[in-house]
Amino acid sequence: MKHKKLRKWMLFTTLLIIVILVNLPIIMVILNSLKPTSEILSSKSLLPKQPSLDNFIYLNSRAKFWMYFKNSIIVALIGTSASIILAAFAGYALSRYRSVFIKLYSNSLLMLQMFPVILVLIPLFIMFRKLDLINTYFAVCILYITANLPFAIWMYKGFFDAIPKDLEEAAWIDGCTKSQSFVRIILPISGPGIAAVAIFSFLFSWNEYLIANVFLRKNELMTIPVGIQMFMQQYATDWGSLSAAATLALLPTFVIFLFVQKYMIHGAVAGSVKG
Amino acid sequence: MGPTTKRRFELLPVYYLLPSLFLVLLINFYPFVSGLLYSLSDGSLIQQGTFVGIVNYLRLFTMPDFIHSLYFSAIFAFFSVIGSYVIGLGLAVLLNKDIPGRGFFRVALLVPWIVPSIVSIISWRWMLGAQEGLVNTFLVWLGFKPILFLANEQWAIFTVCLIKIWRSFPFMMISCLAGLQSIDQSLYESASMDGAGRWQSFVHITLPQLKSITVVCWILMTIWSFNDFDTIWLLTQGGPANATENLIILAYKYTFTKNDVGTGSAMAIVVLIILMTLATLFLRNQNKSQD
Repeated sequence: MKHKKLRKWMLFTTLLIIVILVNLPIIMVILNSLKPTSEILSSKSLLPKQPSLDNFIYLNSRAKFWMYFKNSIIVALIGTSASIILAAFAGYALSRYRSVFIKLYSNSLLMLQMFPVILVLIPLFIMFRKLDLINTYFAVCILYITANLPFAIWMYKGFFDAIPKDLEEAAWIDGCTKSQSFVRIILPISGPGIAAVAIFSFLFSWNEYLIANVFLRKNELMTIPVGIQMFMQQYATDWGSLSAAATLALLPTFVIFLFVQKYMIHGAVAGSVKG
Repeated sequence: MGPTTKRRFELLPVYYLLPSLFLVLLINFYPFVSGLLYSLSDGSLIQQGTFVGIVNYLRLFTMPDFIHSLYFSAIFAFFSVIGSYVIGLGLAVLLNKDIPGRGFFRVALLVPWIVPSIVSIISWRWMLGAQEGLVNTFLVWLGFKPILFLANEQWAIFTVCLIKIWRSFPFMMISCLAGLQSIDQSLYESASMDGAGRWQSFVHITLPQLKSITVVCWILMTIWSFNDFDTIWLLTQGGPANATENLIILAYKYTFTKNDVGTGSAMAIVVLIILMTLATLFLRNQNKSQD
């Protein structure tokens, strides 16, 4: 018995060390954001000697960073809300109906996962340039919505598959139409599923770099990843400000993640394994 | 069967599918077709070119930078898939045991997967870059010479693979963990009654039971590593001296800096062909072994 307990705690310690090592880059970026650049470059110590918020204050004085932050929020919110609504309907159709067309549609969604983004990016860049849509949120949002769709639809399908059909059938007998039963009964009880899809869409849009980099070339429209990358090119050695910017970029990710990690793990597994 | 049981064609699913179908056609299908056409012409970003047939494709194979990026893409994908799978499976096995704080560990180990690429790359660049970086300080302290992780060609290839593995293993981990949790425990009990050791049950029960999840994960990971842009671009921009240019970076450079849309599109199509071939091979192999 005692032997077993010892083994348990040895495993615990091993995992703790692994977690710290694996997360070292993230821990370091947060610690570095509290040090002046000179200390980041010279000091052998990992912990800040005198933690200070100077980097954040400096970043705050450069209003641009908050502009990037605002742009990221706008793009991510639009991308997320549109894709969770569109995908819900499609996922429901895939879950409840069978036909050749639906089969074809769901298979082509899987195929889309294989497409290199760059392949569609080139023609879209040319098309959007003609339509004068480069440097608009619209260009980026519509791409994010579409990029989120395949995964979101498959996740929804998994969640809806798990809801018994009896619920709807009972509602039909009570006089509900089919679309009413979906909106009033199925959607409200799939809260956790919707949350999972929303988190994935939000994280994707928040983290995305390539699409934003191609379509948002004006400084006042850039999202955080593109903005920080610009900053990195200009002030490559200003590690203090860079770390502070990176730390702030992490905030929404961590907030969402800590709140709803349960759904997320479940959702990721449902999406990947069933898909 | 009477006529009443015959299925009526329903319009509702069509309405439900239409909005997303419209977007997919507009943002994926239409550009795919025109991308295919671009790859057969000699246009630029501003000017529509003329039809040249498969000339762009034929020329690809005479270009040293294309051949190199083909080779690098393959290495990058191979090590990313194998590395992240071995680490992910190992951690999944550990996390599947009864240990205190399991929920915390599971979440903490997902972090590299969910943080924005730009954030992790900034940190990795500081940790590995130049002489004053954390890793080099540590190496010097141990008595080694500092390594130019991003400036030396061989080391840069090693470094981008390592960081891709770091960014990808959490996905493998949670997928394997889900697979492990669905294995019937009685299989292990009967195996241990037959005198099988821990390693034997791992090889003869765990691995075969995980096979279908493994294949899906390998396919997805292969696709994601072939299509990777962020990790490499933010870390090295394909350098030093093109050493870490994969096909996507090369296609990006040809299109957006050299303004050669035909070549760039042809490269992207080559990636698609490679991925479809690999996915078919993986799936066929899986179906064969299941029969």
